Amino acid sequence: MLLLSSEFLQDFVDLIRERYPDLLRATGQHLILSAVALALGVLVAVPIGMLLAHHPVKWARSGVFGVANIFQTIPSLALLALLIPLFGIGTTPAILALFLYSLMPILRNTYTGFRSVDPAILESARGMGYGAAQRLMRIQFPLAFPYIMSGIRVTTVYIISWATLATLIGAGGLGQLIVSGIGVNKEELVVAGAAAAIILALLADGLLGGIERRVARRAHPKAASK
Amino acid sequence: MQKKKRKFGVAWIGLAALLPLALTACGGSKGDTLTIGTQTYTEPKILAEMYKALIEDKTGLKVKIKPDLAASKVVIDAMKKGDIQMATLYSGEIYNGYFDIPDTKDRAEVLKAAQEGFDKNYGFKWYDSYGFENTYAFAVRQDVADQYQLKTVSDLKDHAKDLKLGVDTTWLERDNDGYKAFQQAYGFSFGQTFPMEISLVYKAAGDRKVDAVLAYTTDPGIKQYNLVTLEDDKHFFPPYDASPVIRKDMLEKHPELNDIISELIGKIDAKTMGELNYQVDVEQRSPDEVAVEYLKQNGLLD
Repeated sequence: MLLLSSEFLQDFVDLIRERYPDLLRATGQHLILSAVALALGVLVAVPIGMLLAHHPVKWARSGVFGVANIFQTIPSLALLALLIPLFGIGTTPAILALFLYSLMPILRNTYTGFRSVDPAILESARGMGYGAAQRLMRIQFPLAFPYIMSGIRVTTVYIISWATLATLIGAGGLGQLIVSGIGVNKEELVVAGAAAAIILALLADGLLGGIERRVARRAHPKAASK
Repeated sequence: MQKKKRKFGVAWIGLAALLPLALTACGGSKGDTLTIGTQTYTEPKILAEMYKALIEDKTGLKVKIKPDLAASKVVIDAMKKGDIQMATLYSGEIYNGYFDIPDTKDRAEVLKAAQEGFDKNYGFKWYDSYGFENTYAFAVRQDVADQYQLKTVSDLKDHAKDLKLGVDTTWLERDNDGYKAFQQAYGFSFGQTFPMEISLVYKAAGDRKVDAVLAYTTDPGIKQYNLVTLEDDKHFFPPYDASPVIRKDMLEKHPELNDIISELIGKIDAKTMGELNYQVDVEQRSPDEVAVEYLKQNGLLD
């Protein structure tokens, strides 16, 4: 395996040592693309998921899911290309494409989370005089939270991975190392770019997992301390 | 009911066992098929379609085209492995570290070095050129050229740090004719660099997302977006004459290919190639349509 030859390892070590500013810059670009797209995705998909969970109009749900599904199934490179005539090249279409990808998983998980709340609990809460806002913040949100977080964590890993294509439309990121590495046949670049993306995804997932545990502990102090 | 279940079970296992066989059969009989590989841009695709039309017309071979290989290096690797047998390559490729090369930038010597080197090391026959070169050239928007009075690359020196440069996906990493070597040769850098799929740089310049681009000289985008090419006064970029290249073992198995391939040698100049590229990239015609039309118009195909 070429990957484990001593020549490759030497090139790889040299790369990290000599070009870590480039690596850091690419990682930073990648992080911004992913984080902004994810934040927008959460801001849009979570409220919509909440609203759809108990929406009286049935076709609203299938309509919204249908649209989100279409964005999800368009091949990533195609989606990037389709956005170019409208938004040009660079970070804007890249973030927009990643945002559209993030919608479906977050939307579906939020929807499922809110639907999973036992209506009996809500009824008794209503009976006890809880207003809509209180029901939302004290009961629905805490119970739906694990689902929502699961959707966000999965989406985060997807987005960090797909953001590697952004380089093809001039948005930079870790994809730049991978694509240029392929073009000049320098495997160490490809591996460095891929490794950084993997590390980024693991760190993000770990961070979100930590947030998830913290919120769970605050919502259910007794249960969490078991 | 049990009997039916068992029959179904056997049927599924049979099918599953046949599947790998079917997949290997898809590998195809290499003897009767010639695969031409191309890079991601239009030019080699048109040339591949020309050869496909000629070879299928004049021999019993079937030609498959494998497009969009990431870079010339990937094309060469594929040819080394035998996944493809033929391609269009550019003489300046010798600077990408395949074998030792003479220290020269003379067009004829670079071509000779390519022909000898790739024959000796990989068993490729590298023909003489189609008649044109497709090399790198810096280009700027007309208004940028006017604003800074730019005619040569050296004219950029005092202004480059204020300029945004669009380049293809590999130039920043290339060792011998890439950005690093350029900075040493010309002694300046650009403010910001944006690597992207090469076909997008021209529109990026037109849309003012970048001010300068490192163009490929036969790309129609230069004309399409009213860009002005700057003279490489320090002769930094090596020559990139385009030639058909084929594996010698394929040629030995089918010697009739030699005459067919030679039909296009020395026939296509840069202006013509640029126009053909224009018809595909700008007029949105398909490469095979443009290729066949060209062959018919020039009496190479009836």
